[in-house]
Amino acid sequence: MARISFRALLMAGALALAPVAVGSVAAQAQVLEVAVDASPVGLDPHRATAFSTFQIISGTIYEGLVAVDKDLRVKPGLAESWTVSPDGKTYTFKLRAGMTFHDGSKVEAADVVSTFNRVLSKDIASPLASRLAVLEKAEAADPLTLVLTLKEPSAPLLISAGTIAIVPRSMEAEKEALQRAPIGTGPFKFKEWQPNGFVLLEKNAAYWRSGAPKLDGVKFNIVPESATRQVGLSSGQYSMLPNIDAATALQVKGKPGVKLDETLELAYSFVGVNTSRPPFDNVKVRQAVNYALNRQEIIAAALFGAGVPGGPLSPALKDWALPVADFACYKHDPAKAQALLKEAGFTAPVAITINVLPRQDIRDMAQVVQAQLNKAGFKVELKNQELGQFIQDWRNSNFDMFASTNAGSPDPDDYFFRTFRTGGSTNVFKYSDTKLDGLLDSARAMQSQPERKKAYDEAQRILACDGPIMHVAYGQLFTGLRANVTGFEIIANRSLSSLGDVAVVK
Amino acid sequence: MLRRLLLARLLDLAVVLASVSVIVFAMIRLIPGDAVAIMLGANTEVTPDKIAALRAQIGLDQPISVQYLGWISKVLHGDLGTSLWTGKPVLDEIVLHLWPTLQLTVLALVVGAGLAVPAGCVMARLRGGVADAAMRVATVAGLTIPSFWLGIVMILLLAMLAPSLQLLGYVPFWQDPLGCLSRLALPAFALGLPILANLSRLVRSAMLDALGQDYIRTARAKGVPERGIVYRHALRNALIPFVTSVGIMTGYLLGGAIVVEQVFAIPGLGRLILGAIAERNYPLLQATILLVTMGFVVVNFVVDLLYLAIDPRVRA
Repeated sequence: MARISFRALLMAGALALAPVAVGSVAAQAQVLEVAVDASPVGLDPHRATAFSTFQIISGTIYEGLVAVDKDLRVKPGLAESWTVSPDGKTYTFKLRAGMTFHDGSKVEAADVVSTFNRVLSKDIASPLASRLAVLEKAEAADPLTLVLTLKEPSAPLLISAGTIAIVPRSMEAEKEALQRAPIGTGPFKFKEWQPNGFVLLEKNAAYWRSGAPKLDGVKFNIVPESATRQVGLSSGQYSMLPNIDAATALQVKGKPGVKLDETLELAYSFVGVNTSRPPFDNVKVRQAVNYALNRQEIIAAALFGAGVPGGPLSPALKDWALPVADFACYKHDPAKAQALLKEAGFTAPVAITINVLPRQDIRDMAQVVQAQLNKAGFKVELKNQELGQFIQDWRNSNFDMFASTNAGSPDPDDYFFRTFRTGGSTNVFKYSDTKLDGLLDSARAMQSQPERKKAYDEAQRILACDGPIMHVAYGQLFTGLRANVTGFEIIANRSLSSLGDVAVVK
Repeated sequence: MLRRLLLARLLDLAVVLASVSVIVFAMIRLIPGDAVAIMLGANTEVTPDKIAALRAQIGLDQPISVQYLGWISKVLHGDLGTSLWTGKPVLDEIVLHLWPTLQLTVLALVVGAGLAVPAGCVMARLRGGVADAAMRVATVAGLTIPSFWLGIVMILLLAMLAPSLQLLGYVPFWQDPLGCLSRLALPAFALGLPILANLSRLVRSAMLDALGQDYIRTARAKGVPERGIVYRHALRNALIPFVTSVGIMTGYLLGGAIVVEQVFAIPGLGRLILGAIAERNYPLLQATILLVTMGFVVVNFVVDLLYLAIDPRVRA
């Protein structure tokens, strides 16, 4: 009896250990397996603040009146065309005929009006509300014609308001519904969300653009461990790792069956300073930091060489950005930095503390910055902070200097206005420059591109050397793909809106 | 006897839970950084009024003692609160994440504890031989290899050997039993291996101890066959320390599950807890840790009951 039970035990053990070799691979619909690092916080496009949410929903589930193409230029979205009145205060959008939401209801101008009402409502408290601050009123002239009247001309409006996700009018007063069950107009509709597991989207067969989507679905697997994501892509468990940094990209580069798509980022890494207290209230000290930085060295050390030095605007914005050669202080010159410190009345070493955003590339950058500043008359202490603490200090302007990253946008106004204008909502630097304020205000009201460009050129020159942010680098952004994935276009704003055109060839 | 044990255990449970509730409540609030700041995000437009409004809405503007009393009285009435981020009852979220972890833990226990008994017996019987030495070396390796490393190596290996196998993520058993098992097999092995190593060493030494006892000599003298001696007489006595360890290991398993779930992208309790810490999701974290603690105490209670079954002396 004992003999039998011992054998049985061993057998049972062997069975438990044997990998289930049978597998469960059924020939099934074509679903693109995407691996992302973080769970979305909710799926309501008007309430979300997390990038993990936007990555999954924008351009896939939801769309706006206009969209941004891979060259970061505005292209028609739900609106097929639009006109602007000569005084720049009236925008008239013509919607495409015959579009429907995922719930089957028609897309009409009234839906856009109630979407904007929703964004502006106190109850929803949308972080996008400020994008519509300039809006006087929105009206549906007829079911397919939308008229926006502005309080004053606003050049950035087309992108800032135009890309707001349009939702059905039935959602206007719904606070929670969209967080769990999003309803948009995009090429994919929401199917299932297993918290911390995955978000599954399925094909929207009634999508307005013919020929799209090509896939039957997209599954965003939430995989927090970066090694697992890399192995998953190399082995073919996942077909896409969207928006990865250089370090991760290097890991999968050259693996059989893997390809990389890349573009220059809109987001930039930087060190920012508190201009309300010494030593950085003195413009000469800010200039000194610029001279002390060797941006190429930082890029080589912290970004694995995958990036370029940049000024206040991303070089990806070819229509707007000035070349860094235009900024005198971008020349690495520690002696000049020391001299500037002396002129400002400081005796070296000037002790400062840098708060560091807890992200690997930023930590790496901060260490190089520390070494470079120490050589140029500063004495730097790094403070590696936990995210919650970092944000709290950031918001309370409780820092000498901090190392972090800022998101960008296709329009310069979004880079500058809230960050650098006196009293701007993310001007934690307490920076104030009357001339810059004037430029930013007037550029908003300008209609002609050359005129706006002139104002922003001037702004870039002021900000590059005297501003509260020392721009360091614009990194290279990558998306890792299986070789058989076609039709994907990486966009610098990190939107995955081209998923509608993606197919997997067998 | 049973009743006294039950009463003692219930008292234990109450004391443990009460102290854990205080510790958890205080600890998460001692972590620097504020739920509200994180909720509102770094790059959105935020005004001090917005922050104040949200703090008041969540109740964070109250003194911490008031917050604790409010929370604990609700818990005693069966209301564990709602998640700060999703607004859903935390119990729903916990139940959702409990299943994957439960399945993983049970499978890992099957691997670890289930195999430890035969492995330990074999080692004890082959004591002193080359096979015994080899197995002991193997157990040291098993003890020292970290689960997460083992997990990644196994993913790499199997991805090369059997690319069509679904290894990552989780599907509920009732949706796709085979898919579920094939996804859980590797993590269960990675999680169970250190336990297997630990427990098989324990069984080996307990068996050797038992085999040296007088009653074994008596059994031999009356002519019981060798296998009968090992499995019926010695093993039964060796099982008592084993069962104690299994109870303690269950606690270890929950800790290990946090790491292994991370590697294998399994949406379990570990991921829930980590996420809740990162988000400062106070109600969710408090409830989860409270329930996990309760689970641990209950497991130890079950272990006590098992003593009764194994060892008649305890019953006396």
